[in-house]
Amino acid sequence: MKTAYNQNWLKNLSVLKEANDWAKQSIISRDQLDAIRAAYVSGFYHPNFIIRILLIIATFTALSGVTGLLVLFVVEIDESMLSFLALIYGVVSFAVLEKIVIRNMRHYKSGVTEALLYHSIAFTVGGFAGVFDFDEYLFTLAVMIVCAFAAFRYLDLISSTVSILSFAYLLFAILNDSGEIVQKFIPLVFIAVFTGVYFLTRRIKQNPETEIWRHPLLILEVLSLIFIYAAGNYFVVREMSTEMLNLYLEEGQDIPLAIVFYLLTVIIPIVYLYYAITRRDIVMLRVSLAVLAFSAFTFKYYFSLGHPEYTLTAAGIILLGICLYLFRLLKTPKNGYTHENILKEKWAATNPEAFIISQTMGGNQVVPDAGTGEGGSFGGGGATGKY
Amino acid sequence: MRLSIIKELREKAFISQDQYNFLESVFSGKIISLYYELRIVLYLGVMLFATGCGILIYKNIGELGHLLTIIALIAITAGCFLYAFKKGNPYDDGKVTHATAYFDYIVLLGSLLFVSVLTYLQFQYSLFDETMGITTLMTAAFFFLIAYRFDHLGVLSLGITAFASFWSLSISPQKWYHGDFVDQANLEFTAVLFGSTLALLTFIIDRKNIKKHFTFTYLNFAALIYLTGALSGVFADDDVYGYYLIALFLGCGFSFWYARTTRTFLFLLYAFIFGYIGFSFMLADLIIDDVGFWFFYLLASCGAFIYFIIRSKSYFKRAE
Repeated sequence: MKTAYNQNWLKNLSVLKEANDWAKQSIISRDQLDAIRAAYVSGFYHPNFIIRILLIIATFTALSGVTGLLVLFVVEIDESMLSFLALIYGVVSFAVLEKIVIRNMRHYKSGVTEALLYHSIAFTVGGFAGVFDFDEYLFTLAVMIVCAFAAFRYLDLISSTVSILSFAYLLFAILNDSGEIVQKFIPLVFIAVFTGVYFLTRRIKQNPETEIWRHPLLILEVLSLIFIYAAGNYFVVREMSTEMLNLYLEEGQDIPLAIVFYLLTVIIPIVYLYYAITRRDIVMLRVSLAVLAFSAFTFKYYFSLGHPEYTLTAAGIILLGICLYLFRLLKTPKNGYTHENILKEKWAATNPEAFIISQTMGGNQVVPDAGTGEGGSFGGGGATGKY
Repeated sequence: MRLSIIKELREKAFISQDQYNFLESVFSGKIISLYYELRIVLYLGVMLFATGCGILIYKNIGELGHLLTIIALIAITAGCFLYAFKKGNPYDDGKVTHATAYFDYIVLLGSLLFVSVLTYLQFQYSLFDETMGITTLMTAAFFFLIAYRFDHLGVLSLGITAFASFWSLSISPQKWYHGDFVDQANLEFTAVLFGSTLALLTFIIDRKNIKKHFTFTYLNFAALIYLTGALSGVFADDDVYGYYLIALFLGCGFSFWYARTTRTFLFLLYAFIFGYIGFSFMLADLIIDDVGFWFFYLLASCGAFIYFIIRSKSYFKRAE
């Protein structure tokens, strides 16, 4: 089985996207781009991001109109029959997506496809769950399988994410229901399983045949790393234990094996960082930075000294120091690492950055009450506090 | 896939050997760029430090270390600007890029800290008469000055935000969500006036070829303030909603015209969304609410919308 899309076009489209980026940054000339464009033709309707979002909204609205009309016909029918009809409706929607929107109209991730896909998934899974009386395991399993199918066949990233999350949830639920002894091993099992998944993913990625699925696989890779970390993180384990496993902690008590989880909270980000740098793995590097921040948060949360302003200032100084040091260090590239912008990523632009600055540091800052209620334009010089 | 792509492109002679070598070293991971990572962390550092310092000087007022903190802050601010003036390139009407990669962040840090110090001094010693919100105005002026001197879009948007808040306008999605935007009477009118004046000034500056790359940021804020103000006016004031509606449609028309001439998609979007809401409101006011009609209206507008997007397909492709 393959993806629903014309494989040649998929390849051509990715060549075109790459070549466009190169031309934008003058790595290749305009003439070269035109030659590539002429040679690699893709017949997909594949609009840009904003249009996709608008089309998703429009398609959802239209679909709810259609569904609403259909519901008028079936209001009288009893519940189990209704679930069965929903299942059929979901499968039919899949067929419409496959045969009409993708095959005939040649849409590829156009927004229409996504909306129709989620619509189909929702009705298929919902109908299926209804038929089996909303059994938790079966429902999660259905979500996992249908979303995995969508990820595989339509290369959809949200479906990929949902599928992996439901797999994790299913694993957790099964372990959680198998008695107290098994419950203790949940973190261990998670680490083992997702380490396996991670290395499996990396191996799959090496196969050139799987390159069409590189984005879903990337999500799998990142989420595996995050799950491995989360399963060993003290904060996650402690909160999950008290919330989900009904562990009751007295004042001053700690979770079993607390020291192990403290250690893991520190070690895993460092291991990630180390491997990311030595193996030159940018994906792992980004994950390691994120989890490092979360580890800092974890320790801060349990060992707070009650002075957020000192923490903020100190954290700021440390980050600034590290950055300026790295900028100096990488003035000439070291081991292939550089701070220069070699290939721009598509979401990067100065205008959104400026907007982010104005939103995070502008007049919307939380201002400590200055007593007078006036002149609160602190730290960012915005709000006069006069609203 | 990326490696096999460039191999294939090289074999078919679409790219030269030099280009191939460069791209190959990037895609195989021989060169790794930390451009975004470093910038994000640097930005976080600036934000945490500025916020932390801000709270720090407020909390310790009256204590011994307090004065030291203030002096340290002033010293850091001075250091930032000393660095900026020393290393930065001189002012030019065009776009100016600076020598070091972290230059922009030093300027940003300096500006934020300067404002912290200024506000503190105002708070402690009441340097200016606060009834006019003069601190905010000075903050805005300072931001504008820095933004132009060092060609800094981030500081420019801070300046616009501060200047708008001098007129009690708040530019923030969070605030609109809570409905704070229309808290005060006549704020809608201020917004409309402010937005149109800002847009007008922007065009004059743009015509004079001064910092043309600032135009987008200015107009973006102007359009948002104007359109939101007009729309709030339509909803808020039953007596004069017709005027606001006309203002809204004028604004949308202008936004549409600007989007067409410059091929900026964002303004087309503004025109479309605000226009649609305004138009629907007008229909709701003129026509008796009939469920069947609204159901049809919803479907029809969705259809029209999809038709509109697919028809202007080529136009959007060039936009982005």
